[in-house]
Amino acid sequence: MGGLSRLVAVAANTFRETVRERVLYNLVFFAILMTLSGLLLGQLSIRQDEKVLKDIGLAAMDFFGTLIAIFIGVGLVSKEIERRSLYPLLAKPLSRGEFFLGKFAGLVFTLLVNIAVMTLGLYATLLATGRGADPGLLAAIYPIFLGLVLVVAFAMLFSTLTSSALASVLTVGVVLAGRFSDVVRNMREVLPAVPTWVVDGLSAVIPNFRNFDFKDRVTYGDPVPGDVLLWVTVYAAVYVTIVLGLGLASFRSRDFQ
Amino acid sequence: MTRPLAVLLLLLVPVVPWSQSKIDERAGIFRAQEEVLYLWSGEQVRNLFPGFEDLAADVYWLRTVQYFGGQRVYSRKKDFALLRPLVEITTTLDPRLEIAYRYGAVFLSELPPTGAGRPHEGIEILEKGTRAMPESWRLRQYLGFFYFLYLGDARRAAAVLEEAAELPGAAFWLRTLAADLLARGGDRAASRQMWQRMFDQSEEGILRENARVQLAILDSRDRADQITEAVQKFERRHGRRPHRLEELRRSGLWRGPLEDLNGVPFHYDASRGRVSISRESPLWRPEPPAAGG
Repeated sequence: MGGLSRLVAVAANTFRETVRERVLYNLVFFAILMTLSGLLLGQLSIRQDEKVLKDIGLAAMDFFGTLIAIFIGVGLVSKEIERRSLYPLLAKPLSRGEFFLGKFAGLVFTLLVNIAVMTLGLYATLLATGRGADPGLLAAIYPIFLGLVLVVAFAMLFSTLTSSALASVLTVGVVLAGRFSDVVRNMREVLPAVPTWVVDGLSAVIPNFRNFDFKDRVTYGDPVPGDVLLWVTVYAAVYVTIVLGLGLASFRSRDFQ
Repeated sequence: MTRPLAVLLLLLVPVVPWSQSKIDERAGIFRAQEEVLYLWSGEQVRNLFPGFEDLAADVYWLRTVQYFGGQRVYSRKKDFALLRPLVEITTTLDPRLEIAYRYGAVFLSELPPTGAGRPHEGIEILEKGTRAMPESWRLRQYLGFFYFLYLGDARRAAAVLEEAAELPGAAFWLRTLAADLLARGGDRAASRQMWQRMFDQSEEGILRENARVQLAILDSRDRADQITEAVQKFERRHGRRPHRLEELRRSGLWRGPLEDLNGVPFHYDASRGRVSISRESPLWRPEPPAAGG
C-alpha cells in the first residue's frame, strides 16, 4: 500500500467519521433552515426577495461552513490523542504526515459535500420561487470554500499545539482577525503611534479572509473576473500549504509517550 | 408525586392562552412595538458583521419596512423617529441597495400620517444614493422630482434632471421635463407628469400606491378648481355666491360629482367662493410649496 493510498484511506475514514458527527447535521440543518427562511423574509422586503434569498443562502454557507471547519477541524487530531486511538494507528505502517494530511483531506471533502448540499438547497429554493438558477453564484461559493479550507488548516495547526478548547478559541480569533484585515491594514489611521513594521507584519501574518468574499458582487450580478479567482486560489493554496506545513512540523515533533 | 405534578401541568397549560387573550383584550392584539436602536451608526454595525454586511443590510432593511408599517398603522405617536437612522444604517451596510434610497426617501418625505413629513431628510438620503451610485439615472431622477414635489424648488429640480439625462440609459423625457420646469417654474402638470412616471416605474406595492394617491390628489384638486370656476360663474349670473354646492347642480352650471376621487364631499368656503379637498378626506394635504400641486 503506497503512501498516497494510505493517505486516501485516512481521508475516507475521516469523511465517514465526520459525517457521523451530530454537530455537522445540526449545522447543515440550520444552514438549510436559514436559506428557507429567506422565502419568508424576502416577501417582507418589498421586491428584494431574490437578493435576500441569495444573501441569506451565501451567508449561511459562509457562517455555518466556518463553524463546521472550526469545531470539527480542532477535534480531528486532538480527539485521536485524547482517546488514545492515535497510538495503534501510528504503530501501523502509517507516517504522521500521511495521518495528518489524510485527516485534513477528509474534512475538506466533508466541507465540499456540505457546500454542495447547501448550494443545491439554495438553487432549489431559487427555482421553487420562480427565479433562475443563477450560475454566477458559484463565483462566490468557490472562494467561500477556499476560505473554509484555510480555516481547517488553522484549526488543525492549533489542535497540534494545544487542547481542542483553546485551539477553537485561537482559530476563531484568527478568522475574526482575518475578516477585520482591512481594519488592521488601516490601523495607523486610528493609532498613528503604532510603528509601520507592526502594521506590515500583522498584515502579512493575518490571513486576509476578505479575499474570499464575493457575495456582494454576485448578488448584484457583477462578474468576478477569472484572473481574480485564480489569484485567490493561489493565495489560498500558498497559505494552506504554509499553515499545514507548520501543523505537520508541530505534529511530527510531538512526543506522544 | 408524578401524578399530581402531571395534573398540575395539565391544568396550567390552558392558562397560557387564556392569560394571553386577557393581555390582548387589554392592550389590543396588534400593538406597535417599542422600537429601540442600540447602534446608531452604519459604520459601527458594519464592523460587527465582517463579511456579512449584505445580510446585515437585509436585516436592517426588513426592520425599516416593519418599523415604518408598524408606526403608520399601529402607533399613536407616528413620529417615525428611528426611520432615518434605520435607512442610514441599511444604506451604509449595502450602498447599492437602490430600493432603500427610493423607499426611504418616500417614507421620510411624505406628510403624516403617511410618512414622517421630513422631506429634507428624504432628499439627503437620495443625495447619499446618488453619491454611492453615480451611474443610476433613476435615483437622480427621483432626487430631481423630490426637489420639486416636496421643496418646490423647480430650478434645482431642473438642474438635477438635466444631470440625470446625461447618464447612460437615461429616459428621453428627462430633458424635456427639465426644460418645462425651467420655462414655467413648475405647475400642476409637471407634478402630474412626475407622479405618473413614478407610478409607471414603481413595482406593485407601497411606492406605487403612494403615487396613485398623489395622482388622485391632483385630479381632485383639478375637479375642485373646476367647481370653483362654476361658483364664480354662478356669482356672475346671480349676483351672489351659492349657499351650498348643490345649488350649482340645480342651476345647471355643474353636472359632475361634488366629491373628490375618494368619494368625500368637497369643502366649500362660501365666504371666499372657494372649493377644496375636505380635511376629512384621506386625500387632503396642505397647500403645496410651489405652484406644483
